[in-house]
Amino acid sequence: MLSLRSVTKRYGALTALDDVSLDIAPGECFGLLGPNGAGKSTLMSLASGLRSPDAGTLTIAGAPVSPADPSSRTALGLVPQSIALYEELSAEQNLRVFGELYGLHGAKLRARIDEDLEAVQLADRRHDQVKHFSGGMQRRLNLIAALLHRPRLLLCDEPTVGVDPQSRNAIFDYLERLNRGGLTIIYSTHYMEEATRLCSRIAIIDHGRILALGTLDELLTRLPFEEEIGFPATPATDALAAQLGGDGTIVTQEGRHRFQPRADFRLSAFYARAEALGLPPRLFTAARPTLEAVFLHLTGRTLRE
Amino acid sequence: MHVILTLVRKDIANFLRNRAAVSLTFLVPIALIYIFGWVFGLNQTDSGPSGIPLGVVNASTNPGAAKLVDALRAESAFKVITTYDLPHHATRPLTEADLRPAIRDNQFRFAVVIPEDVVQRDAIGLHLKILSDPRNEIESQTVSGLLQKVIFSNVPELLGQSLQARAQAFLGNTRFTQFNRSLAETIAHNFGGDPAEIQRTIESGSLGLDQATKPAADPSLRRLDNTPAAPAPTPAAGTAATPAKPETKSDYFSKLVKIDQEQVVGKDVKSPMATRLVGGWAIMFLLFAISGSSAAYFDEKNTGLFQRLLSAPVTRAQLLWSRFFYGILLGLVQLITLFLAGRLMYGIDVFGHFGNLLVVCAAAAAACTSFGMFIAAVSPNAQAANGLSTFLVMVMSATGGAWFPLSLMPEFMQRIGKFTVVYWSMEGFAAVLWAGRTFTELLPILGVLAGITTVVMAISIWQLNRKRMFE
Repeated sequence: MLSLRSVTKRYGALTALDDVSLDIAPGECFGLLGPNGAGKSTLMSLASGLRSPDAGTLTIAGAPVSPADPSSRTALGLVPQSIALYEELSAEQNLRVFGELYGLHGAKLRARIDEDLEAVQLADRRHDQVKHFSGGMQRRLNLIAALLHRPRLLLCDEPTVGVDPQSRNAIFDYLERLNRGGLTIIYSTHYMEEATRLCSRIAIIDHGRILALGTLDELLTRLPFEEEIGFPATPATDALAAQLGGDGTIVTQEGRHRFQPRADFRLSAFYARAEALGLPPRLFTAARPTLEAVFLHLTGRTLRE
Repeated sequence: MHVILTLVRKDIANFLRNRAAVSLTFLVPIALIYIFGWVFGLNQTDSGPSGIPLGVVNASTNPGAAKLVDALRAESAFKVITTYDLPHHATRPLTEADLRPAIRDNQFRFAVVIPEDVVQRDAIGLHLKILSDPRNEIESQTVSGLLQKVIFSNVPELLGQSLQARAQAFLGNTRFTQFNRSLAETIAHNFGGDPAEIQRTIESGSLGLDQATKPAADPSLRRLDNTPAAPAPTPAAGTAATPAKPETKSDYFSKLVKIDQEQVVGKDVKSPMATRLVGGWAIMFLLFAISGSSAAYFDEKNTGLFQRLLSAPVTRAQLLWSRFFYGILLGLVQLITLFLAGRLMYGIDVFGHFGNLLVVCAAAAAACTSFGMFIAAVSPNAQAANGLSTFLVMVMSATGGAWFPLSLMPEFMQRIGKFTVVYWSMEGFAAVLWAGRTFTELLPILGVLAGITTVVMAISIWQLNRKRMFE
């Protein structure tokens, strides 16, 4: 559906995308995972035809994407990172504007508006001004504004920023339904949980380069360990963490240490050291590593740094 | 074109939903035009200030002094105060000693003292004392002018008495009486009348000047803009060509100097001041409305709306054209609405030149729209755009003649004014509504406005692209 070949984009001295090549198949839900400034939004803006690459080519369903050619953009829908709606207008007026820009009119447009408002539970608020909506409602409207013309490719640029968990789940459910219906989705995020839940394939991107690409399982196989051990960060456990420094990586976040062992490290050695320090086994939990660990392994820093 | 129409419709709907913007565009300028109409006397046939409290102390027994007090009372601009309030609703005559504390307490800001020696024997003229608190310079000058008018128009005999007293002191009683008798006999011999009656009139100081000056209520003295309330007596001005009656309608000075006036342009315009007032406020508020929308560029960029619009089958050119057409439409509707309000309030002849007025309004709106784009193009953010546009709109309105005639400003500022949208828009409005120019005659002004639009738009688009406003 979307194909990038050796795409490079620079802003002055900064290289936002560096020789990126990528193929996204029809019906796929593809995740772009990376920290802020990694190049995700630049990739989205190139894919949506807002900017031209400095080098390389982009095609959607075989047709080149270009800012100069508006017709190349009829196949895609963009959900921007911010709430890109006219606050003074009602939900229905907003949808009408965006629908008409894609050439929808009359009964067809009305039917699409009804259907989409219903799908995101906003039908009863259709005549209310958007400025009176909650953040979650605005996010849902922001999403369906990109879907009225029934695109084949949906570009979601961090569409859940600042959304409450309930609305986030509603958006995920809706996106999963759309994806099951055959819509190709590219989902950009810096939340690994979102990428893990939604995406069949994930590209980890940083400093404009794709560091890893594959399914979740494929990405996790890049790690030298199968399990990581978590325990609370206390003065008593800090001594253990200090001892483990040479045997793997210790990540400390939100009051917890996570020990990611080297490939040749034996877990029995870990528990022996804990016992020697008088730390009870109940403090420790072994868990399957996450994409965060993959990112840390690939870049040496966490996603939120 | 369909995309542009959709975007223009969206902008209109967005604007109409914003009550603050609608008020600022239509209601506020109409209210201000109405208020300033009052200030400039456009709403009244008898215009000017009224009810200004004026303390008056008359310490003279001269009958002319009492007549002066009556004349001040008859002047509607003044509310004459001659008494001092005592407890229990009692009053006593105001004295000079009361005036200064009363002025300090802001009970009134002006007072006239007619002293006992209002007519002096050792000097020519009257002796009056005026006390004031000139906290408001315009009011102070107006009151000063009105006092002079009342004094010179209503009590010439006091001046005559002053001359008589001075002559008596200079000549001595005997020669003074002989002089007056000889003068009275000469007048009676040449023009008829009783010599004794004429001598009494001369000695009273009247000298017949009161007959010449009494009804001299020239409204021009009471107007801030020096525009006559009634049409000037010009031979070419229709009903205004009716001969004036100097015996009853002119002041003393107009009898000394006769001036024939001829109005060359705008003879048929009912309210020239209103034309300037409405045009000036209209163009200023149009600039505010349009520059307000320039801040919307930043909102649309920051909220990702440009991103969303341009990810649809919409080009940047369509986006800019839609903004341009919306600006012209908004400007056209606003300007015509304000001129129609001017017609309702002041009788501006809008329909007599409607076609040409529409063309000038469209040209002015286009130039203002380009100004709005320029603000968005050169400003780094919405706050800066608001600040810059407010500054430029005020400067352009002042130097372009929206508030007052350009001739009141220094020459270098007049030259600067000619580089503004406001100046050329005002010229266009005046050319249509005041001078009644034809379309062909309007072409130079329209050309300048179109030139401004083209150049400013070109710079703006170049700069908008340069700063990646749409990316």
